Amino acid sequence: MHIPENYLSPSTCAVLGAAMVPVWKRASANVKREFSKKKMPLLGVGAAFSFLIMMFNLPLPGGTTGHAVGAALISILLGPYAASISVTIALAVQALFFGDGGILALGANAFNLAFIMPFTAHYIYKIMMGRGGNRRNYIAAFLAGYVSLNAAALFTAVELGIQPVLFKDASGMPLYNPYGLSISVPAMMIPHLLVAGVVEGIVTAGVYGYIRKVSGEGLNEGRGLKIRPLYVALIVMIILSPLGLLASGTAWGEWGADEIKSIVGFVPQGMEKGFNFKSSLPDYTVPGFSEHMGYILSGIIGVLIIVFLFMAISAALFIKREVKITDK
Amino acid sequence: MIEIRNISFSYKDAPALKDINLYIAKGESIALIGPNGSGKSTLLKIINGILFPQRGEYFFDGTSITAKRLEDNAFSKKFHKRIGFVFQSSDSQLFNPTVYDEIAFAPRQMGLSEGEIERRVSDLLKLLQIEELRCRVPYHLSGGEKRKVAVASVLAHNPDVLVLDEPMNGLDPKTKRFLRDLLIKLNSHGKTIICSTHDFEYVDGVFKRAVVFSKEHTIIRDDEYGRIISDDEFLYENNIK
Amino acid sequence: MDWLFREDRYEPGSDSLKFIDKSLMSILKILSKIDRLGGQRRGILYGVTPPLKLISTILTVVCVSTSRDATFLLSAGLFVLINLIMLEKSDRKRVLALGITASSFSAVMLIPSMATGNIINSLIIVYKVLLTVSMANILSVSTGWFDVSASLKLLLIPDIFILVLEITLKYIYLLGEISLNMLTALKIRSIGKNNNKYSSISALMGNLFLKSKEMGEELYSAMECRGFTGEYKRVLAFNISRIDAVYAIIVLALTAAYF
Ligand SMILES: Nc1ncnc2c1ncn2[C@@H]1O[C@H](COP(=O)(O)OP(=O)(O)O)[C@@H](O)[C@H]1O
Ligand SMILES: [Mg+2]
Repeated sequence: MHIPENYLSPSTCAVLGAAMVPVWKRASANVKREFSKKKMPLLGVGAAFSFLIMMFNLPLPGGTTGHAVGAALISILLGPYAASISVTIALAVQALFFGDGGILALGANAFNLAFIMPFTAHYIYKIMMGRGGNRRNYIAAFLAGYVSLNAAALFTAVELGIQPVLFKDASGMPLYNPYGLSISVPAMMIPHLLVAGVVEGIVTAGVYGYIRKVSGEGLNEGRGLKIRPLYVALIVMIILSPLGLLASGTAWGEWGADEIKSIVGFVPQGMEKGFNFKSSLPDYTVPGFSEHMGYILSGIIGVLIIVFLFMAISAALFIKREVKITDK
Repeated sequence: MIEIRNISFSYKDAPALKDINLYIAKGESIALIGPNGSGKSTLLKIINGILFPQRGEYFFDGTSITAKRLEDNAFSKKFHKRIGFVFQSSDSQLFNPTVYDEIAFAPRQMGLSEGEIERRVSDLLKLLQIEELRCRVPYHLSGGEKRKVAVASVLAHNPDVLVLDEPMNGLDPKTKRFLRDLLIKLNSHGKTIICSTHDFEYVDGVFKRAVVFSKEHTIIRDDEYGRIISDDEFLYENNIK
Repeated sequence: MDWLFREDRYEPGSDSLKFIDKSLMSILKILSKIDRLGGQRRGILYGVTPPLKLISTILTVVCVSTSRDATFLLSAGLFVLINLIMLEKSDRKRVLALGITASSFSAVMLIPSMATGNIINSLIIVYKVLLTVSMANILSVSTGWFDVSASLKLLLIPDIFILVLEITLKYIYLLGEISLNMLTALKIRSIGKNNNKYSSISALMGNLFLKSKEMGEELYSAMECRGFTGEYKRVLAFNISRIDAVYAIIVLALTAAYF
């Protein structure tokens, strides 16, 4: 999820960093207002918390382990603005002091993890949350984690995937990340949709549930944000940011029809090159449709099935736990 | 049961234990005494297989306890089952949503039936006189209540050896007396008790033996508890009293 | 009560505790890196004034990332090499280990691309990853962290953010130690089969959050008691020595090679 240094062109980093400036400005103004200036130090503790969350490993099927990113959780706990700042600081600490590299890529990583992820999580949670109904809130928290991580992953994949289209050397070889959208999107999205998102969702809902149980306070619940303007801003950002990237790229002209098709339609050509993940997926076409439409459609259906499946599983898990606890 | 041979331990550059030798037999009840920073907590962590000495060896029931040995999952679990540790700070030890779940954590892992678990938890709640805390959240309990829950949660897996790190710290006199009586009772039923302390007022009758650490991280005396505790000059000299 | 006074025979079932061990390892790694905050070390590079080192590091990272010029990239490599030689042995090992890990990871990621003919550009990425990760780590091991954060003033970062950043560093250590204790407690009580590992870890994280909140509020009250009103002035004091001049000249020469 964390984009390492040198995988994005410096201009992409600059554009994403520039896009973060208004976000940071707004976030700090907002935090100052809501937290009061005097309480700003609390954010440091929040940032330390978001840094440490990533150190907790969870078992995954197949005997391996993985960890959550935590931005959705912090967004629910502290509000999206405080989360945005906390996660940014955690990323800066990682780049500057823990030497993960990523000094130049900080803007891009912040864009995905300190903007897209906490705000997506916030809106999903707000929209899904019911009044007081516990189970619905767990599901809201689960979905906030699941969807926001996948949104961040999708942005990451797109940022990586447009690199070979935009930045080539004289002989046409890619300068930065060499894998186009047809590879980067599935390579990022398949594991995130199937595994990492679920982990994020369960952790978000689990910690949320624990904290709710232990103390009703500590949750940034009542503090509603006006959804509309930010909603619009978010959508505009989503549309504009790839365009901004294109504009900043060296060559509009090199942006051939094929590439556009591959961005818009996720054309599965070139898949046989690079990773051969096609083999791991059974027949992808729904009869009666053109190949592309079928691909998109089966993708959407797949995602929906997965979402509902995990909603059901998470609901079942939490009901079980609740019974265990309350009937003592 | 516990045998420590020439153990030395340092954190980075700071030495914490130097050349420690100690043998503790089954059923003993022993106090580790010494000024702050003399290495008591470090030794207790080594005994619990949390830290491993850079030099020397530690045997538990004849088996050498090393990082490598504890990588063996089954062995590690059996070892931790037999020795229970009450941390200096109960905060870090309690992580379940209710006191009931906290105490039931280990028995559930052992695969006991829900009936058996219920029995164990109820017994322990009664033993520690915290029945009214059953459904409370550990996070919000007072210091003394937390300590009692921590002790109960460790006793729940019925360890043979009970290790406590300054258990009397921060407790009120009544709770201290209660804990003292509990330790005496557990010891009289055959549990081995190892306990670090620098509080002598409320522990009379608990320990038969004491080991004294110096601020240079060595053992300077290993004697009958009563004899050490009445040697005022010695205690004063070594910053214990 | 009889069960408590009887020794029981117990054979644990099999159940992996890898997630606890892995978590313990990652937190230990973090803590071991932070421990440097205290110790002062000897060596020329350690004496270079922090603001200069910070600016130089950022400058060279940007140059390396944007350059395609073989001469410059090789000079930058030489620069990193010289820096490495100036480090103490244990620091050097650490920086090298991190750089090599990151670049090997890159190399593996790029194998499919190299197989389709994109060899030179892939190797350049691997090389640049090695350089940039090494430079960031050289800065981190050779400079007091609070000196680095104070130097951020020069990048027009507001003082209040520097304060927040410094609190973050301190609390990563404090909360890290708490996490370590909690995970250890979980580990030594994990004596059988844990059927709900996710809820155990979630509870640890939840406790960590509550603890953070409590500590943060305490910190805030303590600061308020000592007169904190939301204004903060981070003082950046440094003096320039001959070593700094030499270091600056080298960095300038390197930047000149870029153009
Ligand atoms: N995590 C740690 N890192 C570095 N030094 C430590 C750590 N824990 C303890 N020490 C040091 O080791 C020595 C022994 O500490 P400890 O075993 O806690 O003593 P006691 O429990 O007798 O007070 C002290 O000098 C202490 O500063
Ligand atoms: Mg101690």
